[in-house]
Amino acid sequence: MGATGWGLVELVARLLSPNEREAVLGDLAEANQNVLRSLFDVLGLYFRRQGVLWRDWRPWLAGFGVALPSCYLLMGVSASVTSTYVRLFDPKDYIPCWPTGREGFILFLCHIFLLIAWSWTAGFVVAWWSRGAVWVSAVLCLFPFCVAHFPIESLPRACLYLFLPLAILGARHGLRTMRVDAAFASALAVAVTALMILAWKCGALWTLNWALIWPVWYLFAAARRRVPVAQTI
Amino acid sequence: MLGEFEYLLITAAAALGDDAYGAAIREEIQSATGHRCSIGALYTTIDRLETKGLVKTWMGEATPERGGRSKRMVRVTPKGVHAAKEFYSAITRISQGVSWVAH
Repeated sequence: MGATGWGLVELVARLLSPNEREAVLGDLAEANQNVLRSLFDVLGLYFRRQGVLWRDWRPWLAGFGVALPSCYLLMGVSASVTSTYVRLFDPKDYIPCWPTGREGFILFLCHIFLLIAWSWTAGFVVAWWSRGAVWVSAVLCLFPFCVAHFPIESLPRACLYLFLPLAILGARHGLRTMRVDAAFASALAVAVTALMILAWKCGALWTLNWALIWPVWYLFAAARRRVPVAQTI
Repeated sequence: MLGEFEYLLITAAAALGDDAYGAAIREEIQSATGHRCSIGALYTTIDRLETKGLVKTWMGEATPERGGRSKRMVRVTPKGVHAAKEFYSAITRISQGVSWVAH
């Protein structure tokens, strides 16, 4: 196998976990197979692994139960936060286009905290639950961007993506974390719930946004039960 | 009971003894069956057997033939030996008297 061919096989083998990649590439080097057969072998192993993952319910719930709906709701929250920011700090450019309510500065800060907490938690839970299949959840998140229509003509379209860096950060932490710290999860759950109740009482929380609370309480329950990542996929 | 490929893998690993690792097991199966053994089938079956407690695996030493990469060593557990014996006994019992078995 030439250097270019072997380089391609090594590149594709990055789909596998580190130990498995080590063993498989070693086996292929020993067998001295041609490039095409080696590529088929590596891809075959990868897709068999994916098949095993998707027989479990967790990647399905992570993708369709958390990633997809959270993405849609968080796009709305991002637009709402941006609209409130423009109204409070740049009123001459503000054109009411988003039903953001009449939040003052305190509720604005509350919304920022909630956006951060919701985004990070959703990313964390999706990655923690479906490590091997997190890329599917990421692809599912593209659908709201493509099909959802938000009336934000006077706002930059990029404002819809405000939650994305936070969700990606949460996902990175979810991929690297073995156990959730109970004190942190408890404090987060209490803080998020308290702020959501405050926002709700002030008429500054959409009903559907209550759906964003469940990953927060899942983390709390997982931390209390000391669920290790081995019980996730 | 074991599946046929699981039996082939356990038997190959048992025959290889301390030299049982991915590539060697694969070669052994290919020699015995005359058919190609895909790496995907091999490693997913090894994982399945390990989950059932029929084999134990660990990362072994790297060798120059393998481009300096480690091997995944395989050892059959006593439970795996028992499962293989069961499969072999069942095959032997059911094959008695059939035309393709030499008497």
